[in-house]
Parts: sequence; C-alpha cells; structure tokens
Amino acid sequence: MAGFIAKRLVLMLFTMLAASFVVFAVTEFAPGTVARKTLGPYASQQQVDVLSDKLKANDPLLVRYVRWLGVLAGAIPDPLQDKTNGLGFSDPRGPQYFGNFGYSTLYKVPVNDMMWGRLRNTAILAGFAFALIIPLSILFGVLSGLREGSRMDRTLSILSICFTSIPEFASGVFLVTLFVILIPVLPGTSPLTNSGGWSISSQFVLPVAVLVIYDFGYVARMIRISMVGVMEKPYIRTAILKGMSPRRVILGHALRNAMIAPFTVLLLQINFLISGVVVTELVFAYPGFGRMLLEASLFGDIATIEAATMVTVAIAVATQLIGDIGYMILNPQIRVV
Amino acid sequence: MTNYPHPKIPGLVEDLKTGRLDRREFLRFATLLGLSAGAAYGIAGLGSDGELTSAAHADDMPKGGTLRLGMRCQEIKNPHASDFVERTNVIRQVCEYLTLTGQDNITHPYLLEKWDVSEDLKTWTLTLRKGIKWHSGRPLTADDVVWNLKRVADPASGSSVLGLLTGYLVKEVDAGEKDKDGKPKKTSKLWADNAIEKVDDLTIRLNAYAPQIAVPEHLFHYPMFILDPAEKGVFGVGSNGTGPFELTEYTVGASGKLKARTDYWGKGPYLETLEIVDLGDNPGAAVSAMASKQVDGLHEADAIQINAMKSFPHVAVYQAVTAQTAVARMRQDHKPFDDKRVRDAMRLAVDRSKVIQASLLGAGVAAEDHHVAPIHPEYAKLPDRARDVAKAKQLLADAGFPNGLDTEIVTRPDPAWEINAVQALVEQFKEVGIRATIKPLPGAQYWDVWDKAPFSFTGWGHRPLGIMVLSLAYRTGAVWNESGYSNKEFDDLLGQAEGTLDVEKRRAIMAKIEKLLQDDGPISQPFWRTTSTVMDKKVKGFNQHPSQYIFAQELAVSA
Repeated sequence: MAGFIAKRLVLMLFTMLAASFVVFAVTEFAPGTVARKTLGPYASQQQVDVLSDKLKANDPLLVRYVRWLGVLAGAIPDPLQDKTNGLGFSDPRGPQYFGNFGYSTLYKVPVNDMMWGRLRNTAILAGFAFALIIPLSILFGVLSGLREGSRMDRTLSILSICFTSIPEFASGVFLVTLFVILIPVLPGTSPLTNSGGWSISSQFVLPVAVLVIYDFGYVARMIRISMVGVMEKPYIRTAILKGMSPRRVILGHALRNAMIAPFTVLLLQINFLISGVVVTELVFAYPGFGRMLLEASLFGDIATIEAATMVTVAIAVATQLIGDIGYMILNPQIRVV
Repeated sequence: MTNYPHPKIPGLVEDLKTGRLDRREFLRFATLLGLSAGAAYGIAGLGSDGELTSAAHADDMPKGGTLRLGMRCQEIKNPHASDFVERTNVIRQVCEYLTLTGQDNITHPYLLEKWDVSEDLKTWTLTLRKGIKWHSGRPLTADDVVWNLKRVADPASGSSVLGLLTGYLVKEVDAGEKDKDGKPKKTSKLWADNAIEKVDDLTIRLNAYAPQIAVPEHLFHYPMFILDPAEKGVFGVGSNGTGPFELTEYTVGASGKLKARTDYWGKGPYLETLEIVDLGDNPGAAVSAMASKQVDGLHEADAIQINAMKSFPHVAVYQAVTAQTAVARMRQDHKPFDDKRVRDAMRLAVDRSKVIQASLLGAGVAAEDHHVAPIHPEYAKLPDRARDVAKAKQLLADAGFPNGLDTEIVTRPDPAWEINAVQALVEQFKEVGIRATIKPLPGAQYWDVWDKAPFSFTGWGHRPLGIMVLSLAYRTGAVWNESGYSNKEFDDLLGQAEGTLDVEKRRAIMAKIEKLLQDDGPISQPFWRTTSTVMDKKVKGFNQHPSQYIFAQELAVSA
C-alpha cells in the first residue's frame, strides 16, 4: 500500500512537470505580451520594450521555464524581485524560498499572497455544494434506479435531466430574477463582504444553489444506471426471494455495489467544483479561484497560471488516488499492485 | 478698465456680448487665457464659480456615511502609466491634477490658481494655489510639479502623457542604438534643459518650441497626477496626496477602501468612507448588486444594463453626451484604401442612425467622419451627408472595383458595443459591394496590431478639445496615428488652428479641416457615444462626467 501511494506521488510529480511545461509553451502562443497588457494600448513600442526587458519576458522559452522551476524549488531568487529593476516587486517571505510561485504580473502581489485565499473561497463554495450534491444525487439515483421504467423513475429522470440541462448562467439569472428582484430575500452578488446589510452566509445561498442544480442531476443519472444494473444482478433476486426486507436489500446489498462506478464520477466533481466554477463565480462576482484563473489566463500572467495549474493537477491526482483507495474499500475484489 | 491677464480677453468679452461667442466657448477661451474660472463664470453671468459641483451646495449635503461603488479594482501601482478609467478613479481620490475639465467640458485651474500664456502660445506660466498641503502636512511646491512633469516626459515612466507633450515640449531623438532589423532606435526627451522650469516656489514655466493651445487640457490627461516625489512614482495604500481621501485598503480584483481627509484644501469631502467593490466582468453581476443594494452605484452601466434596472424604484440613471467614439479606420498605405474614392465609399455606405440603434440601443449622436464632436468648442457645423448607396457604388467602380471588393476588419470583442457596431457597419458595407469579414482579436493581441492592420475599428476616449485628438491621431508621424494618415494640407491647417486664438478665424480653419477629413480622411465614423451609469437615489451630488471620472469629494449619501 505504501509503495502504491509512493508510486502515485512520483507519478503526480511527473504529471505536474509535464503540465507546467505544456502550460508555459501554450501561453507562449497566446496573443499579446504582458508588457503591452500592463501598459495598455496607447503606450509606445519603446515603453513596452523597456518593461519587457525588466520582466525578462524576452528570454527564450526554455530559459524562462527553467528559471521558473528554479524559483519554485527555492534554488534561485526570483529575478523580478531584484530591487534594481524598478518594478517594486517584493515578497515578504524573501526572494528565495521553496514553493515560491513568483510574482503575479496581473495582481502585482506574490502569487502565494493571493492564490490561497482565492482557493479557500472556492473550496468553501465547493464544499457546501458537494455536501448537498452527494445526498441529493444518491437519493434521486437510488430511488429512480430501484425499478427501471416505473413512474417514480420517469419522474425523477425527467427532473434530473431538466436540471442538468440548464446552463449555470441561465439558472443563475433565473434565480437572481426570482429571489433578488421579484422577491428580494437574497443578495444578488457574493463579494464575501458585509455589503448592504447582507450576511456572508446569505451570500452563499444562490451560488451553491446554481452549482447543485447544474451538477446533481448528472451524478444522479450515473448512480441510477449503476443501480439499475445492480438491481438486475442474481444476488439481489436471491435476497428478495429469500424474503429479506426491501430496506435491507437496498442498504445492505444493492447500494454499496451500486456506488462503485459512480464513485469516480463523484470524485471528478471535486475537480469540476474547484476549477470549473468560473461561470458561477462570474455571475455572482464571487472572489474565487476560477475567476482568478480566467483573469490570469486572459492577461497572460504566467506565474499565476502556472501556480493554479499545479494546484489543479495536484487536486486531480489526489482525488484519483482517493478513488483508487476507495475502490479497494468498496470492492474487496479490486487489489492494487 | 478691468485689468485682464491677457490682451485678447477684452475681445472675447466683446464677442460674448455681441453673441459671436456662446457662453461655453467664452468660458473655454477666457480660462485658457488665464482668466480665473470664478471671474469667467461671473462675466458669462452663470453665477457659479465653476467648481466641480454644479447643483449641490455644501450646506445641503448630508455628512458622513459610506458609499459603495461597483467598479473593477485594477492594479494601481503606477499612476503616471495608468490607462483605464477604473484605475484613475481610485487614484483620483488621493492625488490630483493641476487643472480640471468639468462636466461642462470647460477646463479650470485646479491645483493651479491660474495659468498665463504668451501671445505666441509657446510660454506657459503655471501658478500654484497657495496653502495646498500634502496629506503628510508638507506644502505643495513648484519642485513637486516640475518633478512630475519631467517624469512623464521620460519614456521609462511608461506614461501616455509623453504622446501629448511630443510636438511642443518633447522631441524624438536617435537613441544611438540599432534594433534587431538594423534600424536606429528612437527615444524621446525634453527638447531643452529649461523646457520645464521652476520660477519660484509656486510658479512653473513651460517653454515650448511650438505653439500649443491645449496645455490646460493636457494637464488633465488621466495619468497626469501630481504625485509626491518622495514616493518615486509608486502608488498604494497609505500613499501621500493632496486629494480629499486616503487609500486605506486595496486588493486587486476584490475591493478597496478610502477614508476622507478632514483637512482637505477644497470643498468636501462629505462622505466618511468610499468603498469600491469589484463585481467582475459579468454585466449581470452589476445589475444584481444594484438590485440587492450591495452597491450604491456603478462606475458605468451600458444600455442593456440600464434597461434591466429601469424598473428598480431606488435607482437613478445618469447620462453624459461625450466625444467618446469608435472609428473604422483605413491605412492609407495599404490597397485598396490608398484610393480616396474607396475611403469615401466606406463613409457613404453608412446609415448612422441604424448603427446607433443596433449597437448602442439609441444612446448616441451621429458623427460626421471628421472626429470633431458637436460638444467640442471649436466644432464647425458642415452640411449633412446622408447615406448614398448609388454614389458609393459609383465611387468604387471609378476606383476600379465595379464588382465590389473583399476586405477584413480587425476589432476586439470587448466592449460589446464595439463589436456590435462593427457587425452593423459590415452589413451596411455589403449593400455597396464591400464584403468585409470581421476578425475579432482578444484585447491584448488587438493592441499589438491596432495601428498596423490595414482596416480596423478603434475606440477613442473623450477629449475636451477636437484639436487634441486630431493632433494625436491624424497628424503626419504622430505616435497614435493609427491610419498612417499623412496630408500636408491637413497638418498645416491643424498647426494654424492650434495657434489661432480668434474663435471665428479658428472655426473657419476647423471647417476646412473637417471638410478635408470628410473628403480625404482615413476614417468612417458612425457615432459619438452617450455614456451612462446608475446611482442609488440616496446618493447626492453625482453628475456623470463625460470621461466617466468620479470625484468622490462631490458625493454624499442621505441616511
């Protein structure tokens, strides 16, 4: 087991290295330079060149990538924090330490000063959403999968499909119209400050609702299919025929087996909720990780994009690892080597 | 006889009396020639002292409280290099300008008490108001101003003021180096050591090599803040300034907080705190925040947002007619736009009212293809030119395109009204046989080619004078001459206009310039945009500035 986890962690390291290089290379082809974006349209080329030099943006791709790795590993100090270049970049932790994600050219702060707060905000949002998505989707999935084609199955299936089909921006606007404009009981945006007398907790209601509406129906469908498959298995028929109560059949035999396949789907939702909630964060002006990633990408803020990529890759690999371990617990037939 | 600061002023007073000048023109030129705003407003019989606040009186304003403004919180570290209005709307509350162009488009002295200009418009003497103190308690001096003016004239500052100073204070010179292609590199510097000089503790003199009438307006160009030299051009929380507020908190992309100073030299501030809330780029979020009263106002609201908020009982809409525009500009050095008949066909193809309706939902005024707006003091009205499809087709045929032509127009997807206007234009071009494909480029990539693409659509901000934008955008070799337009007759006329004080003579020159641009110019210009925003009705003292500038010392909130 320890060997398995160690192997996975080494693999994760390689995945992160590969991903970071790909992101660096892709950003290279993104339009516009950071210096131009910083100075705006009306700065002269001469002024743009001066800033590009200071930002060391003219070095070859490989040089910049290796430098970024060196700064991250704490092997070399961040050259952008050199006091002589006049950029005014300074990290309170010093220019050289392990885990130095560098300086954000967009937000003009060390990435470490900004990213973790954004990640925490998104994790809170995702946590609330996830805590509702799991029970709701299991309830819907199991109830509709019990008897395929029954009235209950059809009703719940239609509901799940309808909810999943509504894009987040549409349900966002719909909920805002309903609960902010027509019946003003909730705040329309979630800046997470006590603005206009709305409590912070009230600011979570609508974004969480949008995420749950969008996501739970999809997971419920996955659980339903798995449940339908399990309910047709001979051991379920045997259990029913030997007179076991339906409650025990479902909770004791069917549910655990039916959860094996959707387990991966559920874990994948964590990845989605951390990096894929851009739309919800935009609709509700939520200061989260997704919005940060979008803004950094549009600006070409390589330090922030790279740091965010590392975080999302780490989360993806970690959830996969949890998934593998979870499989072992749910299904003793599966063994890892 | 009254002793006026400039020999031309009595003539202006006479012109005002006989009706040759309207009040706005009189105010504009009298203040330009060094008459104090108070005196000028008095002569014009307006009774106001021309300060910022137009209607509100200090005594009626509620005191204290917090105003929350919905606006992007962009990075603000380098005020002299700022570009977007949002950035300057934060800095503007802490640091100030030497002059100020009000909502009425008239420029007054602000940190200055007055300016004086020589007859040849080459020597400008700027006198600071007495008794202005930095937040730190130190008095504002001529040394501070000289440092700021010299800094923006240095290319290393990254300031766009440099572009404005080029042509009278700054010259382009050989840097003594070669670029990658072996061409000599250019740099800019002040044309003489005494171009910007300190006369005494309160007086600064600008010695220009060419006449320039728009110096007061240049001193109000958005990055031209007077910063404390001790801070070396870097701005942030706790920065020193002469303005009404102090920045106490600021997080890019999230929020900001400004606290009122109690020792401000000017009127106000009435608020205790100004908070800025970043609502992101989604226009819906701003509407939602207004609906749930999480913000008391927005920095800007477009026609679609205004429509959505019309039914909110607590929301008041503000609008300003501006000289903000966008032009479909053609590079004169690229085929087929090197032929003036093609350029003219592009102008005759456009039905302006339809473009205004389609892209601005009606919130605009038709433009006349010469980039001088009716609200500019030197505007001359020319006969209307309506859409003429037959004539446009004929011009294209004469130019050798009897079957029309194919081209590509470069634009950016944001703001939405720009791309909507391009779509409307392209549909109208089609009817005269110009088949244009739209090439939208992300903002940043667009800025790399905005002055290079053969045909593109460019947004231009509001400027108080027509000659300001003509000199920036259409003079041969100007830094922002995106169309590569070069016409000796135009350059000469513009030079004359910049050096002519007599309003009637100047308007006659402007009429020639405008006509020339209509016939030969590089642009097809559909409209002037009316900008708009919303504020909660409890916000007092707000007036939409045509440049969307916010002066929070004017604002108050009732309980």
